[in-house]
Amino acid sequence: MNCDQVKELFADYLVGSLDESARAEVDSHLAGCASCRDETRSLQTVWAKLASLPQEVPGPALDARFHAMLKAYRQGMKQADRDASPRVTLSDWLARWWPRQPALQFAVAVLLFALGLLLGPAFTQRGRNHTAGGGGTNDRALTRLREEVSSMKEMITLALLQQSSASERLRGVHWSYQLEQPDREVLSALLRALDSDPNVNVRLATVDALQQFARNAQVKQGLLDSLPRQQSPLVQIELINLMVELKEKESVPVLKALLQNSELNNSVRERAEWGLQKLG
Amino acid sequence: MLRVRDGEVEKLGVLYERHRTPLFSFFVRLTGNAQAGEDLVHDVFLRMLKYRHTFETGNRFTPWMYQVARNAHFDSWRKRQREVSLREAGTDEREALPSPDPAPDVKLKQAQEVKLLQMALAGLPLESKEVLVLSRFQNLKYEEIAGILDCGVGAVKMRVHRALKELREKFAQLAG
Repeated sequence: MNCDQVKELFADYLVGSLDESARAEVDSHLAGCASCRDETRSLQTVWAKLASLPQEVPGPALDARFHAMLKAYRQGMKQADRDASPRVTLSDWLARWWPRQPALQFAVAVLLFALGLLLGPAFTQRGRNHTAGGGGTNDRALTRLREEVSSMKEMITLALLQQSSASERLRGVHWSYQLEQPDREVLSALLRALDSDPNVNVRLATVDALQQFARNAQVKQGLLDSLPRQQSPLVQIELINLMVELKEKESVPVLKALLQNSELNNSVRERAEWGLQKLG
Repeated sequence: MLRVRDGEVEKLGVLYERHRTPLFSFFVRLTGNAQAGEDLVHDVFLRMLKYRHTFETGNRFTPWMYQVARNAHFDSWRKRQREVSLREAGTDEREALPSPDPAPDVKLKQAQEVKLLQMALAGLPLESKEVLVLSRFQNLKYEEIAGILDCGVGAVKMRVHRALKELREKFAQLAG
């Protein structure tokens, strides 16, 4: 073994990962070569000295930071799971419901039209026959049909409100106008949009949409709760306008509390004072 | 880590307990700064959560963790554009604790030598520091280090040899 070969094996020699015969060969070379021996011993000394560096130990603050971070992450995951599951199901359902290719969409439209032409007269005929003897059955069928349509509209509203695109969520808000008596889930989704949608236009549109259901106790409370939480002065002003329009006396303490906030936007302050005058 | 990847994120606590000290040591030796070390350990565990899906079945955890650690260190270094010198970090009292046994003069000499060695290590180029810290303190095999540094095993061995020579020169310079 020559000096270059020993250099090549040095790193393995250092950590003792050479097999026995290779190690013996290096040792034998070192025994006969003073230059390689001195170099190797000197580097081994530095390597050994590194062991004298003290072990670095982190402080307790790191543990607290880590556990807080893990807790926050787990809570975030749970929230995301809750938020994501209905969206996926409904989106999937909608995706399955309507074909993606324009040609197929056209075909489905033609098919539905043809079915309408074919079944329409028969249905009307049956309706007439039933009206003669049993109008109740027909009424029940119509009610059921109406309920199904309403439920489908609710599903579409919910699905749209949970989209990542702001324009889709706006469409969801507009769909809600078609609902006569939306269920709790839809109202909650609208109130959630009002409270926390990242897009201010969606929040503004939601204020308008919720106006039609403002007599509902859940909605009324949601609107009142949302007023001090809103970050956007525009949305706050819209909410104050709505309260005044509805002559909502319960908003008086909320507006008074709002005025206590020294950091309140000036326009909002003026509007809140105006609102208190009107409601007072 | 596989269980963390598959959704049992609370299991990250076990990995944290096991690896926080070696990881902290790794960062303190690279940056020479205890506060930066803690920030980086925190960053690594946060990244593990964020990128847990990139951990593949059959991978060993420790080399993967050091890959994440290296990226975290590189990003933080790029952000600061300079490493805090060991002189500044020297204000951290944890770094210069001498062994209590020997006589005062021996103790002083040992403490000085440790200080000089720390300074010499801190003064090495990042590439040399990294390979020395990984091979000397983190109990990693050359093959694993090659995986972390994304180079061949031969290159790792060559770098260890060269880094050790550089450390020897630096130490000699500082010791005068």
